[in-house]
Amino acid sequence: MSHALTRIPAYLLGLVVAALAGPALAQDADALLRNADRYRTGADNLQVDTLVQAYASDGTLDKERRYTVFAQSDRRTLVLMQSTAEQGQKVLMLGDDFWLLMPSSQRPLRITPMQKLLGDASTGDIATMRWSGDYSATLVGLEPCADATVPTGAAPSTQATLPTSCYHLQLQATRKGVTYQRIELWLGQQRHEPVRAQLYVQSDKLAKQALFEVDPSLSSVSAMVLIDQLGKQKQTRIRYLARKERTVPVEWLNPMFLARSPVLE
Amino acid sequence: MARLDPMSRHAAALSAVLAAAVLPPATAGEFSASVRSHGLARQTAATGPLAQAHALYGGIAFEQPSEGAAQLQMQGSTQWAGLQWHGDVLAQARWPAGGPGSTQVSVLEAYAAGRLGAWEWTAGRKVVGWDVGYGFRPNDLVQQEQRRTLVSQPLQGRPVLMAEQFGAESAWSLVAVNPTTGRDATGAGESALAARWYQRLGSADAYAFARWGRRTQGSVGAAWSWVASDALELHASLRHLARHDTWQDASASAGALASASPWRALTAGAAQQLLLGGTWTSERQVSVLLEAWHDGTAPSRGQWKRWANRNAALQHLGAVGAPALAVAANLAWQTQAFSASPSLHRQNLFARLAWTTGPWESALDMLYHPADGGRLLTASLAWKGDRLRLEGGLRASAGPGTAVVRQLPVQRQAFVQAVWVLD
Repeated sequence: MSHALTRIPAYLLGLVVAALAGPALAQDADALLRNADRYRTGADNLQVDTLVQAYASDGTLDKERRYTVFAQSDRRTLVLMQSTAEQGQKVLMLGDDFWLLMPSSQRPLRITPMQKLLGDASTGDIATMRWSGDYSATLVGLEPCADATVPTGAAPSTQATLPTSCYHLQLQATRKGVTYQRIELWLGQQRHEPVRAQLYVQSDKLAKQALFEVDPSLSSVSAMVLIDQLGKQKQTRIRYLARKERTVPVEWLNPMFLARSPVLE
Repeated sequence: MARLDPMSRHAAALSAVLAAAVLPPATAGEFSASVRSHGLARQTAATGPLAQAHALYGGIAFEQPSEGAAQLQMQGSTQWAGLQWHGDVLAQARWPAGGPGSTQVSVLEAYAAGRLGAWEWTAGRKVVGWDVGYGFRPNDLVQQEQRRTLVSQPLQGRPVLMAEQFGAESAWSLVAVNPTTGRDATGAGESALAARWYQRLGSADAYAFARWGRRTQGSVGAAWSWVASDALELHASLRHLARHDTWQDASASAGALASASPWRALTAGAAQQLLLGGTWTSERQVSVLLEAWHDGTAPSRGQWKRWANRNAALQHLGAVGAPALAVAANLAWQTQAFSASPSLHRQNLFARLAWTTGPWESALDMLYHPADGGRLLTASLAWKGDRLRLEGGLRASAGPGTAVVRQLPVQRQAFVQAVWVLD
């Protein structure tokens, strides 16, 4: 009896969601994705100053790192490590091709997409500013935005402004060099802002959960919280401190030029 | 009293000016500094020519002692008068076991760089690293960095005049290295002209190299690095040398006692060097590196056999009553063979297994010589914090008692190192 009663609200909720979802599901999944990308980009050629804060398992701040990301058109990205501990390190990403430059060696090192995954927040997490073009999107449906599997206390500002209902998109990689092979992405129903995501690596293992914080003006993503799913549920917060439109000289995107250790500012 | 590397005297003055220019409160430029300290314990060999020499006549030759060292490295870059100025200085103190300590200041890099039309130029002392391999880099034509060192140390650049041109996916580099050194300089100190051409070919990088050494004359090479899949990178490097520097035993016969070292530096004929390798990395941050290389500049099996025969003959002379001092000196001179080439043997196999988990990095590697079954085994563990890096490791020779690596003067080494990055 009690079992039947508990089923009623869920049944009614399902009817309501289905009624609302009818017109919504007609949305073009790729258009939704492009709308979501606008919250992280805003221009084809960008300079983004980023702060990455890695937290220990007990929630205390473990380390902070600063990066400058030059995200250019045609999937060309240069990441400069700005923290004292990593000063001089650079990662260049041209489409599906990646190079690591260490100040001690003065030579560019080709790295695989798997090597790009190393670290609490991988270079791919820091450098990736858009999904469209790299993934084909399929609209799964309209779902509640909240996720019961997200640990309590993760990204409190996100939880406070969480929309009620979200479009659930499934993104499948269309290029081999992307950091994650599959992404389950939830976008706010009204504004199409990214709310949360599940990030799956090549072997289809869930590597990380992502929660997005949108600034008070609701115009851009101000931070992304990553919760590691392969290790000890450690959290990493990537804050986008400043974005500005900037086109860098073409030689900055040549790995041999970067090996000269030029001053890039 | 600090001693200054004579080669670096002029560059030191320039570096001091640069360091002062970029030290706070300068508003432009970058400055960084780090402090490192290491302890290195060495266990000398009980076998091999140097051990035999010491058994006959104690203290006949220098032995590499265990040591402690502390280093301060400061580097800075700034833009001034339309040019980029860069300085990198290392001050270090060393305390060898049983000997007096010493201090030294070295200029690792000091250069100015700018643009002239379509060309970028650099003048001064600079680290210029080329080639694609890990264990062996035949086309590292300028820096000629020593590979597989147990304790990582900052590199000291070479004096260069360099011009480079960059396209979207290609680059040219033309370098005059050691332009002021004399004809007698060898190895990385040789005065030479070097050129590199680079072309990106999708998921591969292709390189062509050429070098003209004042004494060793011409060499040409090519290298290639290809990301074959999400997890696999493959690389290759090939070089043909018209001539190469080496050491040769000029003793009259295996058992002849020489009154001075019979080992002579000479410029030998043509040789080839080839490296093939690949790195596989898993999602769990485990990586496996495998490399195989042929180094035609290394002593051949026949040369090592003659070397072993002379060791045995000298030992026999010692046993039958020949003057101990003369026999010991001849045995000690035999260690010159270890410096004949970057590789001990012509055929080499190298494997490295590394694992990163959180702040921990561990690695095991092995260099194997198929010619005699000799092996060099290394294990290391590092912890990397926000500014502090702690690491330690062990290296040991293994294999048959007749293997060349078992004759090396140092058979086992252990180290600990701490690196602290300052603001």
